[in-house]
Amino acid sequence: MLHFYLAGINNQNFLMRDRETGTWWQQITGKAIFGRLKGATLELAPSDELSFGLWKKESPSGQVLSAVPRDAKKYDSKWEEEVAKLPVPISFPGTELKSRDVVIGLELAGEARAYPFDTILKQSPIADRLGGNPISLVLGPDGKSVRAFLSRIDGADVELFRKSGTGEFTLLDAEGGEWNFKGCAASGSANGKCLSELAAIKDYWFDWRNYHPSTTVYRH
Amino acid sequence: MDQVEKNVGFSGILFALAVAAGSSLFLIPAFIIQPFRYQSAKALKLALVLRQYAPLWTIVAAIVAVSVGCWIWGRAGRVQRRLLVLGMLLAAASATMARMNYFEWMFHPVAQPGFEAADQSKLDVSEMILAVTFNNDARAYPIREMAYHHVVNDVVGGVPVAVTY
Repeated sequence: MLHFYLAGINNQNFLMRDRETGTWWQQITGKAIFGRLKGATLELAPSDELSFGLWKKESPSGQVLSAVPRDAKKYDSKWEEEVAKLPVPISFPGTELKSRDVVIGLELAGEARAYPFDTILKQSPIADRLGGNPISLVLGPDGKSVRAFLSRIDGADVELFRKSGTGEFTLLDAEGGEWNFKGCAASGSANGKCLSELAAIKDYWFDWRNYHPSTTVYRH
Repeated sequence: MDQVEKNVGFSGILFALAVAAGSSLFLIPAFIIQPFRYQSAKALKLALVLRQYAPLWTIVAAIVAVSVGCWIWGRAGRVQRRLLVLGMLLAAASATMARMNYFEWMFHPVAQPGFEAADQSKLDVSEMILAVTFNNDARAYPIREMAYHHVVNDVVGGVPVAVTY
């Protein structure tokens, strides 16, 4: 097991080193860029960026990282708003988005695409194809959390729609089967089955574009 | 008399070279690896190569600078002595800083991550968290903590994970 620590910054994406070999790693790509393990890549673990309330409902027996007491006063819940105002070291004029636009970045079968967060807020659930595969991006019941799924069950594409007119958050497929925010069917022909979740990265456009030069931007 | 002046001249150049080399090994990477500044791939490579040699060679440069500085101290004038002190301090400071991770001065690392049960946490329900689950072991890493610490090393359901933000 390698233990990583913050060691520097490269165009506003941080660099880390591991205590065991001293190798330098780029955060967003998980790639070893210099040192003994150069060329190696860390596997991106499936993770979610969720509101605590939503996560707690889904994982009532889960564990939450405690605050480090001596640093707790330096934690800043307004951090995102403040970072959004900071200058960027690299920009991509002429591309579709502004440097500090927040995107959900997905990579599937060699294809990378950025989904502007504002678009997801307005259009969720989004159905798209990426690397030849059907995918869904869904905004959660809290209006803040986003999940991306490979939208296929037993070889058949699944397109999700928002069920309207109910207080409870429910998604529907084309046959009227019900799905929850975990991507699992609660009724219908796929009842009990779950879509596989895709690793999604929430990032600023300039950073995503910098490390995914071939990325496209979702437009609809 | 000629011999002595020659020696001071040569020693003076050696002293200046040692100070320049030692401080460059620290200052060039420190200048390149800083926030809000564009870094080309070439510049980053240069910084990382210098960082690799810095821990050893800043010490060598500091030892040379201090030894030579003391050696020529007796023959140096008032202005020259001030320069000698300045150079020795610069070389010593570079050797010290080359073994410091000042990024962790600003953002303290988490030595050993501690956890609390979901229903014990005082975190507001609207706060965002990073969630990882392996083998039914569900963990939440509050963004407000991650935005400060940046890296947490953890084992989730038996799987070693580096949580980064």
